[in-house]
Amino acid sequence: MTPLQFESRQRARWDELESSLAALEQGRKATKKASTGAPAPLDPAHFDPAHLAALYRAACEDLALARSRAYPVHLTARLEELTHRAHQVIYRRSDYGMARLKRLALVDFPQSVRAHWRYMLVAGLVFALPLFLLGLATFFDPGLVLSVHDAETARQFDHMYGPGRDPLGRERGADSDWVMFGHYIKNNIGIAFQCFAGGVFFGLGSLFFLAFNGAAAGSVAGYLTARGHGEAFYSFVVTHGAFELTAIVIAGAAGLRLGQALLAPGRRTRLEALKLAASEAAVLIYGTIAMLLVAAGIEAFWSSARWVSPAVKYGVGAACWVLVIAYLCAQGRPARGQHAQHAGHHAG
Amino acid sequence: MTSLDTVVTAEAPEGIELVLRPAGIVARTYAFLIDALIRATILIIASIALGSMNKLGGALFLILLFLVEWLYPVLFELLPGSATPGKRAVGLKVLMDSGLPITPAASLVRNLLRAADFLPLLYGFGAVSMLLRPDFKRIGDLAAGTLVVHAGSTRLHGTLPDAPPRAPARTLSTHEQAVIVAWAGRATRLTPARFDELAELALPAVGRSPDDAARATQRLLGVAQWLLGRR
Repeated sequence: MTPLQFESRQRARWDELESSLAALEQGRKATKKASTGAPAPLDPAHFDPAHLAALYRAACEDLALARSRAYPVHLTARLEELTHRAHQVIYRRSDYGMARLKRLALVDFPQSVRAHWRYMLVAGLVFALPLFLLGLATFFDPGLVLSVHDAETARQFDHMYGPGRDPLGRERGADSDWVMFGHYIKNNIGIAFQCFAGGVFFGLGSLFFLAFNGAAAGSVAGYLTARGHGEAFYSFVVTHGAFELTAIVIAGAAGLRLGQALLAPGRRTRLEALKLAASEAAVLIYGTIAMLLVAAGIEAFWSSARWVSPAVKYGVGAACWVLVIAYLCAQGRPARGQHAQHAGHHAG
Repeated sequence: MTSLDTVVTAEAPEGIELVLRPAGIVARTYAFLIDALIRATILIIASIALGSMNKLGGALFLILLFLVEWLYPVLFELLPGSATPGKRAVGLKVLMDSGLPITPAASLVRNLLRAADFLPLLYGFGAVSMLLRPDFKRIGDLAAGTLVVHAGSTRLHGTLPDAPPRAPARTLSTHEQAVIVAWAGRATRLTPARFDELAELALPAVGRSPDDAARATQRLLGVAQWLLGRR
């Protein structure tokens, strides 16, 4: 068969595939625009998926033939473009709906946290040890706070939690609650992202950011306790800390997972190991973002509310800690007897 | 596809090879600068609009700042088109390195690892990684398994110019046939002098008649037409 015969015989199918693709690529935009009205009248010829798939496979076959028979480049180039576009349309995932989110929150995220418990342990220790050590050290020698924070920041802490004239939360209206909400989102999620991203440097970045943030938090706690503002501070942090501190540890653990893949890739190449680690870590990051959003909300609207007595805050805070730990430890475990089915199942 | 071309091939389940053309550091820098400009514009407009409001405006601005800083690329990469406005302007898009459309997890990973690419300053590690690798991946792309490619396809070969069909002087191998047809397809892109020069190399295939170059070209074009199937 000569190239001309080949082209004239198959051209109708290629044209049909091309127009279907154009309609689909356009249709996506059109349906979005017309989403308020009645469901867009879909042209069945353009939206019969089985037919589209058949056309696509036929085009793939034609491309393979054209390549092996060394047909002119303009022919193969057209087929390459066509198959490439069709491949993109056909293999696009479309299950981003609520069902996926629900499964992520109820099963995949807590399961993934448990599956990575070793990383959680290391990240937790790297975060908590500096926190307690610097906390104790600063408690006995408040001047040490200056080794982590500058003097201006330390003065602000005094101002915020001390019994001064304008302490945090007392005179604050609903407006500034919102400002703090925005501030916490930007700040804390940014910190969590850093803890994760630092992991690609063989885990060193994650270790550094975890330890640094632990030290920063610990020194503030120790300093304020030594100055006698302990109750104001602890009642402030106890509730959102349940979400915020765990989330930062989880983000750091996700970063350590990346680092471990590079240091000890096992039987994979380092690159393959890194890819696998990143796809596992992404699930942890989704959860981290959600937890930090919750934390920001609590921090802005509940923790700062000074009309709530510290006792109530401690109670609610304790409940939140129990809730978070229970969620991470127990949620999403397969029902008894289903272990075999779920074993080894991982969402990417 | 020679070893000079910076193309990446990915195999599709249908048994064909998808040819992907990774985008180099220059195109991606342009795209990044355009995006940076767009981000800055969004933030400036937002700060003016929200600044006139009370403190709620300030909160919205901080949230917007977070979104623009971290999630702007993720959002656009997951929309149809798989590219931020800057990439779209330069003609780039982001794919999985298997040629598949990008997944949400991969987009999140590649954009969070920007923080690592940015170090030690001004995307230093990212630039080094891109310059060292034939597929121009930065660290985020390596971890996420993504590839930034040129979206459009370039048409280097047009249809063949007309000429009276003419049988070759001897049987041509498949490779020779392909070379002659490819040469004819580049008629509109080559200068006439270069086109003739190349035609002369193929003289043995057309038949021995070392007359003037223009006639050799015509005859070779005739052979190309014959190879396509005109008689």
